[in-house]
Amino acid sequence: MIDASPSLQCTLTAEACVLKPRGRWCIDHLAQIDRLLGETAVPHNLHLRVDASELADMDSAGIMLVVNRLRAQGVVWANVELVDFNPHQDTLIHLLTERLDGSPPAPPVKNAWFPSLGQRLAEWTQAMFGQFVFLGRIVEGVFEVVRRPRLLRLREFTAQLDAVGLKALPIVMLMTFLIGVVFAFLLGIQVRKFGANIFIVDGVSIAIARELGPLLTAILIAGRSGAAFTAQIGAMKVTEEIDAISTIGLSPIQVLVLPRLFAIVIAMPLLTFVADIMGLLGSSLVAYSQLDITYYTFFERMKSVLPVELVWFGLAKTPVYAAAIALIACSNGFAVSRDARSVGEFTTQTVVQSLVAVILINALFAIAFPEVGL
Amino acid sequence: MSLSSAGNLTTEESADPPILQVEDVHTLIGGQWVHKGIDFSIGRGEVVALIGGSGTGKSVLLRECIGLNRPTRGRVKLFGQNICDLSGKPLSQVRSQYGVLFQEGALFSSLSVAENVAVPLVEHTRLSPKLRNELVAMKIRLAGLPMEAANKRPSELSGGMKKRAALARALALEPKLLFLDEPTSGLDPISAREFDHLLRVLCDSLGLTALMATHDLDTLWGMVDRVIVLHDGKVIADGPVKEVAKRDHEWIRAYFSAHSGSR
Repeated sequence: MIDASPSLQCTLTAEACVLKPRGRWCIDHLAQIDRLLGETAVPHNLHLRVDASELADMDSAGIMLVVNRLRAQGVVWANVELVDFNPHQDTLIHLLTERLDGSPPAPPVKNAWFPSLGQRLAEWTQAMFGQFVFLGRIVEGVFEVVRRPRLLRLREFTAQLDAVGLKALPIVMLMTFLIGVVFAFLLGIQVRKFGANIFIVDGVSIAIARELGPLLTAILIAGRSGAAFTAQIGAMKVTEEIDAISTIGLSPIQVLVLPRLFAIVIAMPLLTFVADIMGLLGSSLVAYSQLDITYYTFFERMKSVLPVELVWFGLAKTPVYAAAIALIACSNGFAVSRDARSVGEFTTQTVVQSLVAVILINALFAIAFPEVGL
Repeated sequence: MSLSSAGNLTTEESADPPILQVEDVHTLIGGQWVHKGIDFSIGRGEVVALIGGSGTGKSVLLRECIGLNRPTRGRVKLFGQNICDLSGKPLSQVRSQYGVLFQEGALFSSLSVAENVAVPLVEHTRLSPKLRNELVAMKIRLAGLPMEAANKRPSELSGGMKKRAALARALALEPKLLFLDEPTSGLDPISAREFDHLLRVLCDSLGLTALMATHDLDTLWGMVDRVIVLHDGKVIADGPVKEVAKRDHEWIRAYFSAHSGSR
């Protein structure tokens, strides 16, 4: 039985140097083998013989190390005599000595910060340019559809309307109902301090109709449908389905983007309207149980303090949010490259960018129309 | 084995226990029995091809051998251990003893070729970075890739180079057993023959045992010791290519004559 751990015997005679590796010269003992070879000095002027008669096993990792270390000591491999290696090992040694020319892989080149800054800037400019081109193509597509409504893919459009609108309804209702409850509860504590219980109706109805309803719905849809758009289009890009659409003579914008854009633009105000109602229901529940304001009083008061143009204003913002989300999501979907990582990367970007866009647009509306309904 | 005549045809009747044993494997997929009792075993050093029409469950069988899918009934033994019973650490240990070359290469797209090859080494060994890099360089050269390919991303490689890089990764841990799913699919005939040659050289020099699912007749004639034919959920032939090609079975005749014009 041969011992498993590797060892190396080096015998010097007058005319030859004999290396006798013992044990397992395999990948699991590589560090040990490296040390053994490092400790052994091989004289250049003598004939070198490697005797494998007591070798338990030697795999390609072991052979590589022997070849590389002996070469590093100046041994010319062609002059080495191999004794008692089995035929597999013999062919492997020949193969490896042929292929290993001793050049390690060059480390990847890293740019200095200034050139890399320039590169980033160039990439960013190019990306921005790409966004504008994409926007232009979508506007072109929209005009085409307006001119010839037959071009709209009705089946895809209704499918998207279902996915974006109807299927999102339960979560939107639940979310806004709960936010209505929480908001009314906290506001209720404040108004009670002043004995101004009835003013809770003013507070919640204006806040929900003008800001909370539209904004919450947009945030939910950005996370839910925006991410889905990017992932769907991105996955289609990976499997070359988008190229297939183009080669059949269809426009990917017409087939993929416009149905999604129209669906989300139509679904968003509808969802927001439901969100407003659910938020107010939640608030009225709290107003009743916390402040003893009956439902009748609540909604009578609401009629007098919530002007209808304020509700319209809240709803009118939402198609703009929706368009922004759809554009960001679709353009990110088309930007996906053909590897697994980029689908995830661009989906993340979609969510982040569309949330930022929604909040920015909301701020713009707030600044541009500060007096609506107040 | 019902067709035991096939068993005698194996080239290597050694005393070694078989490396891979498939025993009475049945597989039910979507209400259909894809495998209806499959038996075969592969001894040390054999290069075996699994052929069969599309949808006969070659890939599924291969995945069952690797332990990615479980057969509905029956056993798959790798190195004498039933892989269907293993989980956790023992499974991971068995898995480090074989390499797999997936059809599309399945290289990690976010890593360079060198990093891809290093992944199994980082996970399963405790080598110093210097030794590891040396090993990685050796495997890349062994798979016949130029050293410049080491820092490239998989998306920058041609189909043939991807397969070679995937092969380098599959060989990283010095496996004794290699599974290959359609190793030459998607390659042009020249690259395919080169890849066959590379595989044969590596199998001979590393002493590898290999099981491959393939459609490529040239691969069969060129580099395979033994062919196992799957048809209708069973093994209908098992032996060296020459003998299997002579079998009087409708499917086998059609399969081999599909190429006889050029041979």
